[in-house]
Amino acid sequence: MTSHSRVSRSQARLGRSIALHLFLTPLALVWLFPLWMMVVFSTMPDNGIFSPDIELLPHGNFLDNVSNLQRGTNFIGAIGISVSVAVTYTFLSVMLTSMAGWALARYNFFGKGMVVAIIFGTITLPYAVVLIPQFIMVARDFKLANTWVALIVPPLFNSLGVLFMRQSFSMMPHELFDAAKVEGVKEWRIFLFVALPLARPMLAALAIILFLASWNNYLWPLLINSKPGAMTAPVALGTLIGLTKVSWGGIMAGAVMLTAPMLVVFVLLQRHFVAGIAAGAIK
Amino acid sequence: MAAVTLKNVIKRFGVFEIVHGANIDIDDGEFVVFVGPSGCGKSTLLRMIAGLEDISDGEIAIGGKVVNDVEAADRGIAMVFQSYALYPHMTVEQNLSFGLRMTGNPKADTERRVKRASEILRIAELMKRRPRQLSGGQRQRVAIGRAIVREPQVFLFDEPLSNLDAELRVQMRVEISRLHKELGVTMVYVTHDQTEAMTLADRIVVLNAGNIEQIGAPLDLYDDPANRFVAGFVGSPKMNFLAAKMVGADNGAAVVELVNHRGARLRKPLSDALPATGGDVVLGVRPEHFFDAGQGDCDLTLKADVAEHLGSVSYVYANSGTGGGREELIIEREASRHRANGDDLVVSIKADRSLLFDATGARIR
Amino acid sequence: MRYQNATAYRFLAPYLLIFSIFWLWPIIDSFLISFQATRTVPWRFAPTFNWGRLIGDPAFFNALKNTLLILVIQVPVMISLAIVMAVLLNSPLLKARGLFRFAFFAPVVVGEVAYSAVFRLMFNLDYGIINKLLNGIGLPSVDWFTNVTPAMAVIMMAVTWRWAGYNAIILLAGLQSIPEDVYEAATLDRVSKVKQFFYITLPLLKPIIVFCAVLSIIGTMQLFTEPFLITERGGPGGGTETLGLLLYRQGFRSLNFGYASAVAYTMAGLAIAISLVQIWLTREPK
Ligand SMILES: Nc1ncnc2c1ncn2[C@@H]1O[C@H](COP(=O)(O)OP(=O)(O)O)[C@@H](O)[C@H]1O
Ligand SMILES: [Mg+2]
Repeated sequence: MTSHSRVSRSQARLGRSIALHLFLTPLALVWLFPLWMMVVFSTMPDNGIFSPDIELLPHGNFLDNVSNLQRGTNFIGAIGISVSVAVTYTFLSVMLTSMAGWALARYNFFGKGMVVAIIFGTITLPYAVVLIPQFIMVARDFKLANTWVALIVPPLFNSLGVLFMRQSFSMMPHELFDAAKVEGVKEWRIFLFVALPLARPMLAALAIILFLASWNNYLWPLLINSKPGAMTAPVALGTLIGLTKVSWGGIMAGAVMLTAPMLVVFVLLQRHFVAGIAAGAIK
Repeated sequence: MAAVTLKNVIKRFGVFEIVHGANIDIDDGEFVVFVGPSGCGKSTLLRMIAGLEDISDGEIAIGGKVVNDVEAADRGIAMVFQSYALYPHMTVEQNLSFGLRMTGNPKADTERRVKRASEILRIAELMKRRPRQLSGGQRQRVAIGRAIVREPQVFLFDEPLSNLDAELRVQMRVEISRLHKELGVTMVYVTHDQTEAMTLADRIVVLNAGNIEQIGAPLDLYDDPANRFVAGFVGSPKMNFLAAKMVGADNGAAVVELVNHRGARLRKPLSDALPATGGDVVLGVRPEHFFDAGQGDCDLTLKADVAEHLGSVSYVYANSGTGGGREELIIEREASRHRANGDDLVVSIKADRSLLFDATGARIR
Repeated sequence: MRYQNATAYRFLAPYLLIFSIFWLWPIIDSFLISFQATRTVPWRFAPTFNWGRLIGDPAFFNALKNTLLILVIQVPVMISLAIVMAVLLNSPLLKARGLFRFAFFAPVVVGEVAYSAVFRLMFNLDYGIINKLLNGIGLPSVDWFTNVTPAMAVIMMAVTWRWAGYNAIILLAGLQSIPEDVYEAATLDRVSKVKQFFYITLPLLKPIIVFCAVLSIIGTMQLFTEPFLITERGGPGGGTETLGLLLYRQGFRSLNFGYASAVAYTMAGLAIAISLVQIWLTREPK
């Protein structure tokens, strides 16, 4: 290759690189804009939000906004509920779905084909289909409206974890489990002490996705836990939106409190997030 | 310690029968190797002995006790897997002790057994490492150590050396032999490598497509194979098979014509009934059983294509030329005493250093 | 084959129990409820009561029309955008990759309520930052929420913002699973980068694109929170009412469970149709 063509090649690369960044940077700014404005609004007094000036930088009113918010609804309490529910739900769901995924990956049993067909055949049905019977059952038959059980248990049906964990377990060399079996290790111990530790990265991905889903869940908690004092944080915040006499700075402070922890988790554990989503383990 | 007996063992996966009725008697303390091409059912057979696969039909007994319905863990066996199957998240020590810890073995005894295994295999200095920090050979030792710790009556090995490079393989082969002498327990060993089988086994079980072709001591299989498959599988390089035709009988001996070698004829005394005159047969000659011209019972004139020099010996790849169909042969010669590149090469074969097979591959003795 | 029924079902039982009670049975139950008149006590079997009403209900057709409208505009735009994001994020020339990934992927963790609130505020008529910025560059304010077309546009923009990065993550994983040597071979054959995109990347990515599209369609079909919170219960005047909102209104405001179930099953029918299209689109060529 001549030095001339090498120069023009690296120039072409440079040109492509500049074009790439010229296109992507404004798009990224547009994408960051709503989040940025959420932060800005959350730090502005209400009369600042509703003034004709263009304000693009944060102010210092965040804590005032939080107390305004707290006056409208017990948001801090609602966050407490949301955290407890999300933690419990995540733990239970990870256990249930990884046990089920393990059974489907490791054993042959009567009815396996049917179980697989039913679980995966109904996976794309819209959640809306079960909303009404679920509500009637939980609220009317079991009389569990406005309880923690109502928030935690019904959403445990989610089968994406089963799919994800079945896949994870069946990709592990099965000789590992055979080795333990030959050594006389009981199946539940093989699951607990061999399979689960090996699945740690997958479990992390699954847990993050499930936690996020529970944390942000809106429709079901809105329907089933609508009593003040039993609401999750998104529901509590949602009740304020659309009211006429309401502190928008407060709402934005609430939005930041809902979003910021997840953003931090996202930045710290991006790899697991991406793995979880890429495996289709959300929604 | 225990004998292992397989009686008419059949394995089916769905509608596919993979093992067609295996009968094998393994003596207490014996080292038996299952050998055969990939996919012939060796692992399946071994896994049935281990209790990792169900037995579709027939009976397996270990130490005189039928174990068809006995859990793998209770059969008194230990197994070494091809992939080693070491638990990646545990140290070597934890790997060795895992099974005993999980089944509630007393702690002191577990420690004693782990220590003993680590001494036998000389892996004491690796105890705190994890599998990924070990070389292939070290992993293999740990995998064997995990089997020793169980103090089993029967060791099962499924191609334990096939992931190692050639040099390590030889070294580990010797180690396993030593281990067998030291422990004196029954070992069943699966491999597709006939060299491993020949060097390790007291007796070899040759498998082909789910059938047992022959069971015997290594040299018996070499000298006296039951059929063409075994003859071709045992020995390296492979036995040559020369197309032949029965042309007559002479005093209880068969006279065969080598159809691709310009009518060369060999008189081969047989104890079996002679095949019908005019019928197709096959003559098997090992590469090491070709002699200098005039020294045997029948001379063949070949064209030498290529020669491989291994130092101690050379292998000449030759063909039968144009006298009939073309036939490729491998001939072992003393080092440097060969010619190649289309040179003529005259070799001689002997009746008592060749084997006769009928058209179906069965041996005619 | 070795059957281990007892062991297997011991692992499966807890999940299967929950799954049956809160998913499997409701799917059937919902279907049954849709054939009952549910505003009488006790409920009464009346096969045409809800379904008959449904096919003559202008509110239903309005919601269906709006939902489909959002589907056919928003999903293709978002998927195209996601493909662009994924391909560009995958470029070896990209600097500060982490920052760009953060910008596009961050909305994935933002809850529906939080971002609905922000969008509602940003698009406020008099004080919203969007109108202020429009005025700043000399354009007139847009009355986003009192006219149907801009209100729809806000919903679509919001959904696109929230989910484009999510799809880009899936597509990026797909891109990274295409072996590098395919491109190297094409480069040696003097195939331009643009042609490589159209003749290598897109065909190899097709199953994943279809998968994303199906996920997005089924998600968007159930759209609820955005029209509920951003455009205030489907405003203006039902202009952004969706099937999800209609179901909510009928089921949980009017407590008309039978009719709401019929609406729900309409969605299920759509979802099944979409899934069949997916299977057909990604079938192995004979
Ligand atoms: N779980 C299984 N299901 C169906 N077929 C199997 C299974 N395991 C092995 N086989 C088949 O059985 C035959 C023998 O396999 P295997 O015993 O592993 O062969 P080898 O160890 O001799 O290479 C192969 O044809 C293989 O495809
Ligand atoms: Mg094998």
